[in-house]
Amino acid sequence: MAEPLILLTVGLPWLGALLCLAAGDRHPRLQHTLAVSFSVAAGIAALLLIPFGYERPLVTLPIGGAFGDFTFSPDGLGVFLAAVATVIGSLAVIFSVDYMRGEAQLGRYYAFVLFFIGAMVGLVLTTNLLLMFVFWEITALTSYALISFHNDDPKAVAGGIKALIITQFGGLGLLIGALVLFAHTGSYDILAVFANPGLLPSGALAWMAFGCLAAAAAKSAQFPFQTWLPDAMEAPTPISALIHAATMVNAGVYLLARFFPAFEGVPGWREAVMAVGMLSALLAAVMAIVATDLKRVLAYSTVSQLGYMVYAVGAGGVFAAQFHLLSHSVFKALLFLGAGAVIHSVGTRDMRQMGGLDKKMPFVRLVFVIGALALAGLPVLNGFWSKELILEVGLEHGNPLWMLIVMLVVSGLTAFYTFRMVWLVFYGQPRTELHAHDAGLAMKVALAPLALGTLTTWLLAGSFSRLLSESLPAHRIAALPTGEILLEVLTAPVTLIALLLIGLGLAAWWQRERLPGVGRALAGLGKAAANSFGFEAVNRAVVAVTQDSAEKLRSTQTGMLSWNVAYLVAALIVVLAILALGVGLP
Amino acid sequence: MFHVLIAAAALVCAIQAVRAARLLLSALWLAGASALVALEMYLLGAPEIAVIELSVGAGLVTVLFVFAINLTGEENLDARCTIPRPLSWILLFGASALLLIFILPGINQSETGQVYATFREIFWEDRQLDTLLQILMILAGVLGVLGLLSDQKTDLSPTQKDRKA
Amino acid sequence: MTISIPTTVIIMVLGLIGIGIYALLTTRHLIKVIVALQLLVKGAMLALVLAGRLTGQEELGQSLAITVIIADTIVAVIGMALAVQVRRVIGTLDLRSLTSLRR
Repeated sequence: MAEPLILLTVGLPWLGALLCLAAGDRHPRLQHTLAVSFSVAAGIAALLLIPFGYERPLVTLPIGGAFGDFTFSPDGLGVFLAAVATVIGSLAVIFSVDYMRGEAQLGRYYAFVLFFIGAMVGLVLTTNLLLMFVFWEITALTSYALISFHNDDPKAVAGGIKALIITQFGGLGLLIGALVLFAHTGSYDILAVFANPGLLPSGALAWMAFGCLAAAAAKSAQFPFQTWLPDAMEAPTPISALIHAATMVNAGVYLLARFFPAFEGVPGWREAVMAVGMLSALLAAVMAIVATDLKRVLAYSTVSQLGYMVYAVGAGGVFAAQFHLLSHSVFKALLFLGAGAVIHSVGTRDMRQMGGLDKKMPFVRLVFVIGALALAGLPVLNGFWSKELILEVGLEHGNPLWMLIVMLVVSGLTAFYTFRMVWLVFYGQPRTELHAHDAGLAMKVALAPLALGTLTTWLLAGSFSRLLSESLPAHRIAALPTGEILLEVLTAPVTLIALLLIGLGLAAWWQRERLPGVGRALAGLGKAAANSFGFEAVNRAVVAVTQDSAEKLRSTQTGMLSWNVAYLVAALIVVLAILALGVGLP
Repeated sequence: MFHVLIAAAALVCAIQAVRAARLLLSALWLAGASALVALEMYLLGAPEIAVIELSVGAGLVTVLFVFAINLTGEENLDARCTIPRPLSWILLFGASALLLIFILPGINQSETGQVYATFREIFWEDRQLDTLLQILMILAGVLGVLGLLSDQKTDLSPTQKDRKA
Repeated sequence: MTISIPTTVIIMVLGLIGIGIYALLTTRHLIKVIVALQLLVKGAMLALVLAGRLTGQEELGQSLAITVIIADTIVAVIGMALAVQVRRVIGTLDLRSLTSLRR
């Protein structure tokens, strides 16, 4: 029963993509309907797959053995992320019905969105490392295509290319890991590595570990690759909600969590992971404080929260990281979609021009405030429980205490910029004359379940931990019932300190008129933050070098058949010569 | 001996197909090469394939060529080629020599193993995936030809200029 | 001296493939390109049949060769439909003028 469900969950979105393309751009209503129905069907299939997470059947598609079989193992980690990807995907598609109303080339848009959803599901369910790399690259490709969807806008195109180049450098790390695994064990199966940790010699294991860390850092926009995500905000907002908040950027965290038991013994790996997470969280929070574009603030906050998750994985709390991933996907998608509703109605992304929208857009204000409170980590909302779990994990396993202190400070900063954002957009006096209307029906249909989820997903803590601990024996996760987890969070001293810092952040914003001295002292920091502390320059240089060398190499692509065949034959001669010299003549 | 004659004749036909001045002659030489290759395959013990190759390669494809040449008309292009001829010769001889060195020593042992299954069984059961793919390819070919040879309306709709980010 | 049958066939295969690739390297007419592709595929088919004969599995060789025939026929069909369209739209079948995608 699991095999057809897995094939459905991956295949239904892809089939929907083909049908949306085939429907043609003359029938936009048909395209909307097809996209929504196929993504919802995929969501249902993924939810039906969740009970199978306990048994972990191994589903194998024999392909002929050259690259190993295409195996899928729906364990707890995989089915949970698949459900997140498809459910939030279907909500983003429903939102797009209103957001993209009247846009041209909808076929291209929906095809790429559905293609992405299918590839993301395949990425998290497979246990063949090469197949994982293929799906990884498909998500990178569709992300680039969707960022540059408005391909007559040079900023969008530049943002897309930058995202593509930077994530590709990370993808190299994953490919190196896959090849190292193949070279040493002859197959791409990662379950073999978990079952037998001594399978790879420690040098090779270190290569794999740091290669995967580089891939995860690039994909999840962590330090030092964090500048592509804010530039990717040129994408239509449902895309930002789906890809750059709830699913694709989680692929990096997924990779680290999946490989944690194999790599935790590599010296220096866990510390490196924690450092990467901590630096990303800190830098991104500072950059969010000074940003003025609504979507950029949300992008920086995504980077910051992903830093929390990466830090948690490095600290040994895989369950805490995944729980925060669940909460973050829900409330970040909610925030992005709410921001999308605002931007769609007022027509600008600059927060300095907004203000006083709470009377004109009551529904959006309500859901946005719910999401913002979850982001800041206030009690009762799911962000609170998961963030506190992460902070608690920071205390265990002998992790450095100074990192935990930095993370606590960052949670205070998070509260500060969150309240700043909400206040600038919705409260106060309107700074400019803006025409605003409340969200349309499709937007409301998409926003309401997310808001409900933000209020309630923390109740799933117990069953979630049971699912993970039973299906991932190598990760040594302890299964606790929900009540015990909640009690643990409420009674930890870290929680109190965190709440104190959040209160400090809130107070700092409200009293900002009274702290001009602090403001001036931090102005220099603010300017540095606006330039991403110099990383923007580095990344831009990397992108420029790549594009220049690509332009110069273009002269070899003559486009003429004769030259291409000549290259083919020359390559054949080179390969045969290498074989003759290396392997020896028969 | 017979095989040597067939091989030589097929190679002559192939060279003439490439060198022919008029396209129709080229297609006819190609038909001749197909027929000889089909004969060779029959002598190697593959009668079914020989029949199919004869009818498809020497028949269907030649008719298609004649059709296409009629539709596109003759066109005389000068013989200047984009790659200098010596370079082509060098590449080809290098590749062939290396390939021969690899293949020839091992070629002459032949095992006459037992017949594992009949052609029908292998085609329909063992290689089912191949058969499915062939059907898909034929469908794709039909769709492609229909798409290419129909009259198309150009359908270019620009993206809206004022779109909201 | 007598050349064995497998050697003869191998020389035939390499000859066909070599002539096909030489034509691909030096021709400029689109239909000649399709002729060259057909020659290449005949060589490949013959190699498959020979391999089947040498290992005693003639039937397997034939099954694989049928796939190749069908694929190459479809390629020829679509290639010629493309050639007809190219002649209609661009006006010439010279390969050097089919470079409109290259800025």
